[in-house]
Amino acid sequence: MPDDGLVIENTSKLFASFAALQSVHLCIERGQFVLLAGANGAGKSTLLRLMAGISRPSSGRVLIDGKDPQRDATARSAIGFLSHHTLLYDDLSAEENLGFFARIYALKNPQQKIDEALKQVGLSSHRHRRLRTFSRGMRQRLALARATLHQPVILLLDEPFTGLDQPARTALSEQLCELKQAGHTCIMVTHNLEEGAPLANRLVVLRKGCLCHDQAWEGSAADLSATCAPFWDGLR
Amino acid sequence: MKKNILVDKIMPPLVCISMLMALAAALLYAPTEKVMGDTQRIFYFHVPAAISAFICFFLVFIGSIQYLRTRYAHWDRLARCAAELGVLFGLIVLVTGPLWAKPIWGVYWRWEPRLTSMLIAFSIYVAYLMLRTQGASGGQTPRIASVLGIVAFINVPLVHYSVDLWAADQQLHPQRNVDLQPEMLYALYVCFAAFFLLLALLLRRRIELAKIEEAVEKMRQRLATGMDY
Amino acid sequence: MSFFSLLVLLVFNFSFELGGAALHEIGPGVLWSAFVFACLLGLNRSFADERENHSLDALLMAPGDRGAIYLGKMAANLIFLLAVELICLPFFALFFNLSPGFFILPLLGVLVLGSACLSAAGTLFAALSSTMRLRELLLPLLLLPIILPALISCVKATGLVLDNQFGPALYPHLKMLAVYAIVFVTLSLMLFEYAIEE
Repeated sequence: MPDDGLVIENTSKLFASFAALQSVHLCIERGQFVLLAGANGAGKSTLLRLMAGISRPSSGRVLIDGKDPQRDATARSAIGFLSHHTLLYDDLSAEENLGFFARIYALKNPQQKIDEALKQVGLSSHRHRRLRTFSRGMRQRLALARATLHQPVILLLDEPFTGLDQPARTALSEQLCELKQAGHTCIMVTHNLEEGAPLANRLVVLRKGCLCHDQAWEGSAADLSATCAPFWDGLR
Repeated sequence: MKKNILVDKIMPPLVCISMLMALAAALLYAPTEKVMGDTQRIFYFHVPAAISAFICFFLVFIGSIQYLRTRYAHWDRLARCAAELGVLFGLIVLVTGPLWAKPIWGVYWRWEPRLTSMLIAFSIYVAYLMLRTQGASGGQTPRIASVLGIVAFINVPLVHYSVDLWAADQQLHPQRNVDLQPEMLYALYVCFAAFFLLLALLLRRRIELAKIEEAVEKMRQRLATGMDY
Repeated sequence: MSFFSLLVLLVFNFSFELGGAALHEIGPGVLWSAFVFACLLGLNRSFADERENHSLDALLMAPGDRGAIYLGKMAANLIFLLAVELICLPFFALFFNLSPGFFILPLLGVLVLGSACLSAAGTLFAALSSTMRLRELLLPLLLLPIILPALISCVKATGLVLDNQFGPALYPHLKMLAVYAIVFVTLSLMLFEYAIEE
């Protein structure tokens, strides 16, 4: 088992008696771009939350560079998570939100990092506006800025293209490409196969909480669709 | 369910016999108390019920700590069942207390330290049970209840101390260091034994019932979703 | 929250026939009842932002100790509660005809200690109840019996201070409040992680 990278060791997650994940075993090395696919209810978001250290596994363990993110602060600071929700505060402005997270992560030169982050997602001119006034797409972009502000080594992305218009999708794809080339580890859940296929170099498919496909990947969106099709049955 | 000879065949008649012995000891064997008369005999059920209630609260505490440490469902089950029995024995104390108080103090209830402490502890564990039944937070209930179970028990000595402070001048309840005649002491020991056996049997039975309830719920989920797990 | 406390004081005024001796007996109880109800209102809102925006997840991923979240929330709740109390106190003195005296500082001391106790326990329970279905109902049901030891001492201590009894009668109650606050802060720091995890 590699000591660096992300290891999911025979992990299960139960909610009451419902098994969202069952004995999932996965080793993700540094620099890989993993596409996590599966039907709705397959357990993809649950798996991402376990990796982020937000959720505790019912059995098994999650290790980031050999450390448990539930217990170890350095393991947690290696992760950036872009969730279904923005995880931002509606009553604060864009700059205040990023400032809050910069303080939480104890970043050096926080103002500079905030300025760069806002510029990268194209929200510099909206920095003083309250999040409440942002559109869905703008919120998603700010959420990405929050997730990458502390320059995490591992980026977890849960449906990052949702709510984005075409220019924003293109910009996000470019940003993810840069991160991939820079050697960051990315694990992305997406139903948007056109965006996912060019980026991924590994495909993991979940079905009803179980891991049913885990291989290196290279191909087009059509190939991806064909590969995933057999596992698309049995919506929960 | 696995059949356990001790629990299924031996304990029930043993508990019956011990309860009958306790009744005999309390009502017949023990001498009449010279100040309070025959009313005092309720003491032989009131005190063991109180101690049993606190044993249950302690079991909730242990079960809660162990559940948070190990996440094994049987610890959570122990905590839940012990809380129910703790409330039951607490209710016995709160009913027998006033029944004893009326002839002696002239009123059913007085806000004196012991009774007040018991009432507060009782209401904490009733709230625990309400959390268990009404909480319904999608599988998070055992974790939340465990935190409450730990806080509730730590709170018990705080309750005792603060109520004692508050009503130091209202100390009407008989104190621990009351001298008891040997016969009274023996009767009390018999009643303690009877109550502890009853507690053990009820707890075991309640835990078995809880396991059956969980198995039924799991089967119902499997049928509802058509899943095979 | 302050206005709510004032309304509670009003309600109590009409609920009891107040005058003279009765005032002295029940005044502290009325005051602390108003504070407790205001505290419950505040606690319900305590984790509301995190719940609505799901930003608790972001806090859980933060590199620091999770107890820091508890301490931050507790400090915020304490400050709000103290603010409410300071606003209500002059009105309380007005409605209940208290003449200003030397009891102001000791009274503030009791308020600070009492509020620390309420915030310490309340923040933990607010975190616990934030994930529950009937949270607005369950929070008071769970919290009120737990804070009774502190409340009893708060009321007693306030009564003694208003009666200008600063001597040996007061210290056990202050000690009780200090012990309660320390016990609950320690306990909450140990249990908070379990209260907010998934």
